[in-house]
Amino acid sequence: MSRALELFRDEIVELLPRLRRFARAIARNPHDADDLVQITVERALRRFEQWEDESRLASWMFGIMRNAWIDEVRSRVRRDRMFAPAEAGESVGASSTTHEAIALQSALAQLPDEQRLAVALVLIEGLSYKEAAEVLEIPIGTLTSRLARAREALATILE
Amino acid sequence: MTIPDEILMAYVDEELDAPTRAEVEQAIAADPGLARRVSRERALREKLRAAFDGVLSEPVPERLIAAARESPAMDDVKLARGVADLAPVRADRAAARRPRWAWPEWTAMAASVALGAVIGHLAFERQAPSPFTAAGGRLVAQAGLADALTNQLASTQGAQSETRIGVSFRAKSGGFCRTFVTRAAGGLAGLACREGNDWTLEAVARTQPESNGTYATASSALPNAVLQAVQGQIAGEPLDAAAEAAAQKSGWR
Repeated sequence: MSRALELFRDEIVELLPRLRRFARAIARNPHDADDLVQITVERALRRFEQWEDESRLASWMFGIMRNAWIDEVRSRVRRDRMFAPAEAGESVGASSTTHEAIALQSALAQLPDEQRLAVALVLIEGLSYKEAAEVLEIPIGTLTSRLARAREALATILE
Repeated sequence: MTIPDEILMAYVDEELDAPTRAEVEQAIAADPGLARRVSRERALREKLRAAFDGVLSEPVPERLIAAARESPAMDDVKLARGVADLAPVRADRAAARRPRWAWPEWTAMAASVALGAVIGHLAFERQAPSPFTAAGGRLVAQAGLADALTNQLASTQGAQSETRIGVSFRAKSGGFCRTFVTRAAGGLAGLACREGNDWTLEAVARTQPESNGTYATASSALPNAVLQAVQGQIAGEPLDAAAEAAAQKSGWR
């Protein structure tokens, strides 16, 4: 294995906790979220040679995860759900036990995908508008209007 | 002073430049209603983060670490080992939303860049016979490489052979193509397609032999340019062992 690939794998391992957090914000239930992380890691490695900007592995992988969610995992999760309907509180991760956390996680889960992704990138992962817009392949103005709508909706749900 | 919602949001998200920020801060100081809106936005941000931060301290499942450590990378010689699984690569390609170039162009470009590098190198290489030569505007395999492409089967080849065949497949143009990795000329990997009695090189790029000089190391990288060329050419699936043997028997026609 080449040295560059070895380093790449190391960096992905280091990034796993953040990838899991982002996935949890997108995919609601922890098991689906980890599936999403796994698919993302596998895709990232297959595209190892396309990865150029060493400083921004996280953004690059968030973009891969977003695509994986949209074109693969999301539909599977929906299909599974037809056989096993979501239960109340399903989105709750083992580590988040406060009422408020539960309320926020389910509020986030009710948002449309495009708004939830914007919230996850900017408000949870702390990306700048520019970085988040690049991950989502949208203009910054579109990102900020999604963010604004999402915040409004979250505030309403939480009231 | 009225502050538009977007500006207030950008203020909370720390996206404002210093002068605008100062202006907003001044306005907040003068307007308790504005101050309340800002603290509500801040609280939402903090609570959201708190709701998901717990994930960071959870132990990462073993299967994810294993995926990062072990799942195959482009850099590995999946194809050269004859266990090519192009389906996921194709799925990725289909999923790519905005290719900067059309694929065929991209492939041609990558291949020609790699060819240039290899030809440049070979111009200075005098000892061993070159594994290929230029003929009629094409690069054609010769010597040991041509023999291996014609006669060697991926299913039966020795681990130590100078050239190892990866996958064989039918190209969109109808002819047969095969990927290879060879120690010849300092280590090359490529895609060759049958034209008449020749093997034309569609893509070829250097591979780095590993320090111990073993074969496994020489084959440890099938360059992207070659993989792209395969994707550009392949029609259907790679041949299985029986189909490969049959194609060899019929002289790759």
